Amino acid sequence: MDFTLIVALVIALALIFDFTNGFQDTANAMATPIATGAMRPKVAVGLAAILNLVGAFLSTEVARTISGGIIKEGGSGVQITPEIIFAGLIGAIVWNLITWLRGLPSSSSHALFGGLIGATVIGVGSQAVAYDVVLAKVILPALIAPLTVGIVAFLATKLAYSITRRDAGKADGRGGFRYAQIFSSSLVALAHGTNDAQKTMGVITLTLIASGMQDVGTGPQLWVITTCALAIAIGTYTGGWRIILTMGRGLTAIKPAQGFAAETSTAATILASSHLGFALSTTQVASSSVIGSGLGRRGSTVRWGMAGQIALGWVLTLPASAIMGAFAAGLALIGPIGIVLDLVAGSLVVALLFRRSLATRVTHDNLHDIDDAGRVVKIRKTPRKASHSDRKKIAL
Amino acid sequence: MIDWSAYLVVAFASLLSSAIVVSLYSLGLRLLTTAGRVPVVEPAEFTGAITVLTPKRAAKEAKRARKAASASPLSPQQKQIALMGAYACFVLCSAAVLYGVYLIVPALHR
Repeated sequence: MDFTLIVALVIALALIFDFTNGFQDTANAMATPIATGAMRPKVAVGLAAILNLVGAFLSTEVARTISGGIIKEGGSGVQITPEIIFAGLIGAIVWNLITWLRGLPSSSSHALFGGLIGATVIGVGSQAVAYDVVLAKVILPALIAPLTVGIVAFLATKLAYSITRRDAGKADGRGGFRYAQIFSSSLVALAHGTNDAQKTMGVITLTLIASGMQDVGTGPQLWVITTCALAIAIGTYTGGWRIILTMGRGLTAIKPAQGFAAETSTAATILASSHLGFALSTTQVASSSVIGSGLGRRGSTVRWGMAGQIALGWVLTLPASAIMGAFAAGLALIGPIGIVLDLVAGSLVVALLFRRSLATRVTHDNLHDIDDAGRVVKIRKTPRKASHSDRKKIAL
Repeated sequence: MIDWSAYLVVAFASLLSSAIVVSLYSLGLRLLTTAGRVPVVEPAEFTGAITVLTPKRAAKEAKRARKAASASPLSPQQKQIALMGAYACFVLCSAAVLYGVYLIVPALHR
């Protein structure tokens, strides 16, 4: 198989992955403002697409983490090939589809890392993976970020409610948080661009480096940034349309003050992490902040079973997609036939994804993830004054 | 070699920036209501999560809000000060957000 053909294949696959990433993640930024009625869904989706595009250009730290950190790309004798990256991408896309079909909450970012790591371990050997970078910039942030953002969102919600609290019967003006939500959710969309679009840029850059078309240690090129930004923006827009079509299903009740606090915390955490090159799962951060802000409201209790289910899906993604990536790499190692087999499997999956995206009725999407997170916290319909037992519940 | 301080920086940065932005905006809203200008923002679109108010009920609520605002013990001057304070809060809040965006874009301060 031609060397440049495989590079072109990887780039095409990476852009498709980027598209599905945007496609699944529109809800991260726009589920809460749509739920509170801060923006019309059509406006929200268009805004999310534009801001993802802008965000992708703002910071390339995360792309550098992937292209220059996780996989040792050469110099020390270890050489990763475009075939390995190809296998990793196939693994990630296949796992994404499985979780989608099974209705499991999952993170496309972790699927991407898992696939790449699994493929590298099988294709090159475990010494080619920079485990310290994986631990420091992917695994630890994956554990720490949802926790901190949950706490931040909880405190921010408490602040928002206590500052605007007035005597019963007096107007508290909390509807005014709807205006703020327009800006805070826009920031989340921008942050998504600075973190998620970067992941594909990193993969393409890694491929270019691996095939000797780009120098080791350099950042993404402008055409890579531009195409990735466009792919994620188009994905966001199309994904949003699908969400609009399924809006009738009903969402968890989120109040404007709560939504604003959650969005602000999400945006702040993702932006700060992107700045330091931590590759976060934006879905996990957005879900955690919805849970945290729900706990910040009066009369809230946790549905632990549901929280456990969500956490399980998060933990599962990295190892499972690593296994997928390893399988794909094993196939690719056979030679050109293996790559063709991989490609057939991969395009089948992409075709299936595309068919599902055309269906109006969707059983699982990212909106569902955020909505599930909202349902983790149960809030009494008519909150009384907090009694002693309530305080105990809130403390949970 | 794990740089633990980096996680602390992220945690504190997000806590601090969220607290500042949320507090400023909330304070702005609070002062706005104190000034008698209760922001009534209807949902742009009614989703499943929002209880639909009948027009009669909505008008009743608005009337109640106006009445509560007019019964304020504050003098017009005090209300004026509260209003200025509210606007100052909103301006500071947006300045904080813009500064945050400025900080994370390397191209702006290289």
